Amino acid sequence: MNKIVAMAAKDIHILFRDKLGFFFTIFFPLMMAIFFGAMFAGLSRGPASIPIALVDADRTAGSARFVGRLEAAGGLAIERIPSDQALEQVRRGQTAVLVTLRPGFGAALDNPFVATPEVEMSVDPTQFAAAGMVRGVLLEAAGAELQAFMSDPSRMSVTNEQNRRLIEEFSPPSEARDDLLNVLDQIPRIPVLIDEAGLGSVTTGATGGFGPPLEIEQTQVQAQRRGPTNSYATSFAQAMLWTLIGGSVSFSMSIAIERSRGTLMRLLVAPITARQLLAAKGLACLGATLFTSSALITLGITVFDVTPTSYPLLALALLCGSICFCGIMMVLSVIGRTEQAAAGVGWGIALPFTMLGGGMVPLFLMPEWMQTLGNISPMKWTLMAYEGAIWRGFTLSEMLLPCAVLVAIGVLAFSIGATRLRWDTG
Amino acid sequence: MLVFDHVSKCFGDLRAVDDLSFELEAGEVFGLLGPNGAGKTTAINMAVGLLEPDEGVVRFADEAFDRDPRDAENRRSLGLAPQSIALYEQISGADNLRFFGRLHGLRGSDLEERVAACLDFADLVDVGKKVVSKYSGGMQRRLNLAVAIIHDPELVLLDEPTVGVDPQSRNAIFERVEQLRDGGKQVVYTTHYMEEAQRLCDRVAILDRGRLMALDTVPALITAHGGPGNLVVRTGDGESRHETTDPLATLAELQARQAVDHFQYLPPDLETVFLNLTGRALRD
Repeated sequence: MNKIVAMAAKDIHILFRDKLGFFFTIFFPLMMAIFFGAMFAGLSRGPASIPIALVDADRTAGSARFVGRLEAAGGLAIERIPSDQALEQVRRGQTAVLVTLRPGFGAALDNPFVATPEVEMSVDPTQFAAAGMVRGVLLEAAGAELQAFMSDPSRMSVTNEQNRRLIEEFSPPSEARDDLLNVLDQIPRIPVLIDEAGLGSVTTGATGGFGPPLEIEQTQVQAQRRGPTNSYATSFAQAMLWTLIGGSVSFSMSIAIERSRGTLMRLLVAPITARQLLAAKGLACLGATLFTSSALITLGITVFDVTPTSYPLLALALLCGSICFCGIMMVLSVIGRTEQAAAGVGWGIALPFTMLGGGMVPLFLMPEWMQTLGNISPMKWTLMAYEGAIWRGFTLSEMLLPCAVLVAIGVLAFSIGATRLRWDTG
Repeated sequence: MLVFDHVSKCFGDLRAVDDLSFELEAGEVFGLLGPNGAGKTTAINMAVGLLEPDEGVVRFADEAFDRDPRDAENRRSLGLAPQSIALYEQISGADNLRFFGRLHGLRGSDLEERVAACLDFADLVDVGKKVVSKYSGGMQRRLNLAVAIIHDPELVLLDEPTVGVDPQSRNAIFERVEQLRDGGKQVVYTTHYMEEAQRLCDRVAILDRGRLMALDTVPALITAHGGPGNLVVRTGDGESRHETTDPLATLAELQARQAVDHFQYLPPDLETVFLNLTGRALRD
C-alpha cells in the first residue's frame, strides 16, 4: 500500500511541478466553467436579443399592432430600416434575419377567416438557430393576435359584417351561400359557446380550429450570382477555418519538436540569423496553410458546386487568414515548449476563441459582453473574410476590415512569438 | 584559434563554468574531461554562441582575425555534433546532410560531393537513402557526427559523442575522430570517459564543478598528478598491492623475499589524476 501511495504521490508531485500541466488541470477547466457559466447565466435570463431588421411593407394599423406585439415580447432587437439596406446587413452578417410583413398582412390579421397573414424571413445561412428562434417569436405574436381576435366578439362582428357584404356582393344565391352566411352568424357566438360547454380553461390554444396563425416564407440571403449555390458554401468556409487552426497547431508543434530533438540547436549554430530562421518557419506555415485551405476550397468548387462570388477576394481572404494563423502559430510554439505542451496549448487556446468567435455556439446565445469579447477572436474575422468572398458577396471595401484585422493580429502575434523565441534561444 | 579567457557562466545560483581559460592549438584534439555537471556542455554552448558568458570572453582569433562566436563567418568554420542526436528522423540520411549543407551555403556539385564524402566518412553509403528513423543508434550517432562536418569546418565540436552507444559503435566513432585529426581538423571533444580522452586527446582539460582543475597532455597530467602506479603480485601467501614509481625495482625486491607466482602493473591514469585532483572518482 505504501508503494502505491508513494507512486501516486510522485505523480501528483510531478503534475504540480509541470506548470503547463497544472494550468490545463486546474485553470483551463476553471476558464471553461466561467465561460459556459456566463453563457448559461445569460440563457437563464433569456438569450441576448437577436438582432433582426424589420420591414413593414403593409403599413396598416394591423401590421403596426403586430410590430408592437413583437417589440413587447422581448428577445428581438428590432431595427426598422429600408428593405435593400436590411438585406445588405443580413448579407454582411451584421443582422441575423430580415422580417418583411407583406402587403395585406394587417387585413389578414383582422380577418383570419379569409386569409393568413404572410411574412417573409430572409435569413443569414449561418444563423439558422437564430432564425428558428425568430420564427418562434413571430408565431407566438401571431397566435396572441388571433387569440385576442377570437376573444373579442365586437371585432369578430365587424369582420363578419365585412365578410357578409363580400359574400352577398360577389356570390350568386345558392344553398352553399346560405350555409356560409349561417356559419358567419354563428362565429361571434363561438366564445360564448366555448364557455357554455365548459371548455374555457382548455381552449387557450389561440388558433382553435384554424391553421397556422402565420405563413412564413423563409429564404437564405446570399449575394446575387450567376451560378448555383448550396449549403456547402457555408460548410466549406468553416472547414477552411479549421484547416487553419489545425495547421497552426501542427506547425507550433514542429518548432517544439525541433527544440526537443536538438535540431533547433543545429539551426541556431548554422550561419543563418534568427530572423532568417523565423522567416523560414513563417513562410513554411504560410505556404502550408495557404495550400491546404486553397486545396479545400478548390475541392468545394470542383466537386461540391461552391461558387465564390469573387476569386480575387477569396485569394485575399486566404492570404490574410494564413498570415493571421502563422502569427498565432509562432505564439503557440513559444508557449508550448514540448510537443505535448504545444498541442495542448494550441487546442486549449483555439477552442475558446472558436467559441467566442461563434464557431461552436451561436453568438446570440451569449451575453452581450461575451459577444463584444468575440471581436478579439481571429476565428470570427477569418470566417467573415472567407464567407465574404464565397457567398456574402463582399466588395473590396467590405473585405478590408476583416482582412486588416487578420493581418494586424498575425503581425502582432508573430512579433510577440518571434521576440520570445529569440529570447528563449539566446 | 578558439580562446576562452576567464569565462564564467551562472544559471541562477549554480556556477556552471567558473573562470575557465584555455586556448586551442592548431591541429589538436582537445578534450574536456569531467563528470556530469562539470560544465562541459555549457562551455561548448558558449563556444558556438548559443550561450553568452556572464564574465570573460570567448572568441575565435589568430593573427588575421578576432571574431565573436556568433559571427556568421565564424559559424561557417565550425561544426557541432550535439550530445543528443539532432537529426530529422523523417527524411533520409543523405537529405539531412543536404539540408544542413545548404544552410552552410553549399550548392550543386559541391554539395553532392560533400554529401557523398560524409556518407562515406560515416560508413552510411549503403543506407544513405533510408529514412533516419530506420537507422540503428550507432548509425544515427555516426550521421550526427557527419552532419557536423558537412561544410568541412576547421573546428569540430563533439559533445559526448559516444553517450549511449555500444562498444563497437564507440570504436567506429573513435576511428572517425582520428580521421578528423589526421585530416588536420581541430577537435574539441567532451567526455566523462577517461579512456576516450586518454586515447583520442592531445591535450585534456579536467573540469570539475565548472572549474578547470588541470590542463596538459595526457602523459604530463599523469606525471604531474597521477601519483605512483600499483604493482599487484600473487605469492604463496596470497595477493598484495604495492604503490610504486619503479615497478621493475619493486618487483625485483619482492621476488628477492618470496617467489612471485603472478604480477600485474597498474600505471596511473586519468582516473587517478581526477581522483587526486578532486578527491572524487570520475564516475561519481
